[in-house]
Amino acid sequence: MKILLETRHLTKHFGEIAAVEGISFSVGRGEVYGLLGENGAGKTTTLRMLATMLQPTSGSATLAGYDLVTQPEQVRSRIGILFGGDSGLYDRLTAAENIAYFGRLNNMEEAQLEERIRELARIFDMEEYIDRRAGKLSKGMKQKVAFARSIVHNPDIMLFDEPTSGLDVGATRNVHEFIMDCREQGKTIVFSSHTMSEVEKLCDRIGIIHKGRLVAQNSVAGLREEFQGKNLEDIFVELAGDER
Amino acid sequence: MNFRHVWIVFKKEVKDIARDRRTLFTNLLIPIVLMPLLFTFLGGGMEKMEEDIENISIALTAESDTAEIRELLEKQVFADFPNIQFKESVENPSEAILQKEVRFVLEVENDFADLLARGEPYTLTIHYDQSDTKAAGSMGILNQAIQSYSRQLVQQRLTDLNIDPQILEPVKVVQVNAAEENKGGNLMLMMMLPLIISILIAVGGIPAATDLVAGEKERATFEPLLTTQAGRLSILIGKYLTVALFSFVSIIAQLTGMTIGGIISPSFFTMADGGGSMSFFIPPGALLISILIIIALGMVFAAIQLAISTFARSFKEAQTYLSFLTFIAMVPGYATMMMQPEDLRPLMFFVPLLNAIASLKMSLGGVINYAYLGIGLATSVVYVILSLMLAAWMFNKEKYLFRN
Ligand SMILES: Nc1ncnc2c1ncn2[C@@H]1O[C@H](COP(=O)(O)OP(=O)(O)OP(=O)(O)O)[C@@H](O)[C@H]1O
Ligand SMILES: [Mg+2]
Repeated sequence: MKILLETRHLTKHFGEIAAVEGISFSVGRGEVYGLLGENGAGKTTTLRMLATMLQPTSGSATLAGYDLVTQPEQVRSRIGILFGGDSGLYDRLTAAENIAYFGRLNNMEEAQLEERIRELARIFDMEEYIDRRAGKLSKGMKQKVAFARSIVHNPDIMLFDEPTSGLDVGATRNVHEFIMDCREQGKTIVFSSHTMSEVEKLCDRIGIIHKGRLVAQNSVAGLREEFQGKNLEDIFVELAGDER
Repeated sequence: MNFRHVWIVFKKEVKDIARDRRTLFTNLLIPIVLMPLLFTFLGGGMEKMEEDIENISIALTAESDTAEIRELLEKQVFADFPNIQFKESVENPSEAILQKEVRFVLEVENDFADLLARGEPYTLTIHYDQSDTKAAGSMGILNQAIQSYSRQLVQQRLTDLNIDPQILEPVKVVQVNAAEENKGGNLMLMMMLPLIISILIAVGGIPAATDLVAGEKERATFEPLLTTQAGRLSILIGKYLTVALFSFVSIIAQLTGMTIGGIISPSFFTMADGGGSMSFFIPPGALLISILIIIALGMVFAAIQLAISTFARSFKEAQTYLSFLTFIAMVPGYATMMMQPEDLRPLMFFVPLLNAIASLKMSLGGVINYAYLGIGLATSVVYVILSLMLAAWMFNKEKYLFRN
């Protein structure tokens, strides 16, 4: 399997706080990698570094062959993100305008972009409301627009940071389906969560992150084996719960 | 920086904000509608007041109400004042005045004619309400009438004595206006415009500035935006131009409103002006420099407002900080409101904001020192650069950008 994302001792300090401390992992094409951790473990910080929003204090990563620190623009051209459960749209723009804005900023040509939006509208079944203002759409519709926006430029790598936080059952399932679709299309996916069940359901491999450090890393089955058949929840408690 | 990205961001932000009724309301509607209303109200009020002061109602006390005294007052003392009306005589002067039946009650000694004939002074008593502004204003008119009547009597007496009346006027004063006609600026504009423009520049950018960073963070659109291929500086500049544009839109709307107001109610501009002239003249060079300085000021505010919006933890917090900034922006405007162009000091042309206000005041005042205006323009450009550097620095600071 071709490695599309690899982090090397990725570290981020905010003053005294070591938010992320020497994290190294790699993810192959079409693989879903889950970062599992409690509140404040460093998941968002890790993903923000991978998305070039934060500069690593030390260490680096390679995404789709580009170096995170020295080629951030090229890295950004290959990634799509969905951070948090909020759809995060511009209410006064239409669904199509929302998507188009991100397409243009990713250097897509107008003709190509128009074609792509039509395609996305069909894939996500948004044709009916694609020209309606985002503020007037239902939650479910907004969610689809946000999905479409994140992949408008057809990125190789998708970064999801707790994409189901605060969502109801239906919306959560939509996110899961979207992740599985991305995987089927061969995208490389990093996905963070603090919910065992969803990580177990979606991920090929899991990294357990605790206080900024990667404390265990394996496939679900591998982890179970490593920890003598315990379920994931018990493993997590054992690794993370030492001082709870 | 990538100009294509700047343009994409700018276009999107302008479209987005232009679709916001709230912004259109503050930036366009209020200035265009409110100013003419304000002018009509203030200007109309002034006109009404002047009219009221000129229309004077007078009564005599019952004892003074003789044909002789009426003849004296109506045909002689106040003969040239058609706006002075004589009413029925009153028993109780204080009551009649406090009840607003008449503005003045006059009393004249009944044997005034004898005293006059003998060349002795007689007494004319005026009852009025000193606390009544209109009465105080009208009093001047009465005094003027009485004095001119007295002067006539004096001249008559001197002529009768074969003395040249000029003996009473040892010095003759001649006033010559050294300034060319119309060269002077408009006092009202000079007082108000710098203040109004600095307030508007500060207020006009607020909705855009809050929305464009603090709002974007809160709506969770900011992180996707930062992961597009547009660099941070391009995003910032696109937003910056938007905020500046909306400041200018509100100034243009305001000036349009003022022009409409001035046409509807010119008395607003003339009321503080002795000569009552509405016209003023700014040399083209000074006008151009003033416009450039105003534009620079708008850009400085846009940059500072974006920096504040980036710094703020939330939309609400950004709004609070920005309204405080508006308050700060008002201080130099108020502090210099009463200043005349000749009171301006060179130092003022170096201080941020004050430099713009001073330059504007100088141009509107019509007494122009191009060296000072040049300093004002040069320092403005320096402040544009400094403020933009501040905004860029803030926009690159992870600590402020991601405060969750
Ligand atoms: N911009 C920042 N400035 C200072 N400290 C920060 C910043 N962002 C995160 N931190 C700190 O870094 C640590 C890791 O935070 P992070 O948000 O990455 O955790 P997380 O795993 O995403 O948690 P959650 O499940 O709550 O989202 C926390 O202690 C947090 O307080
Ligand atoms: Mg997080």
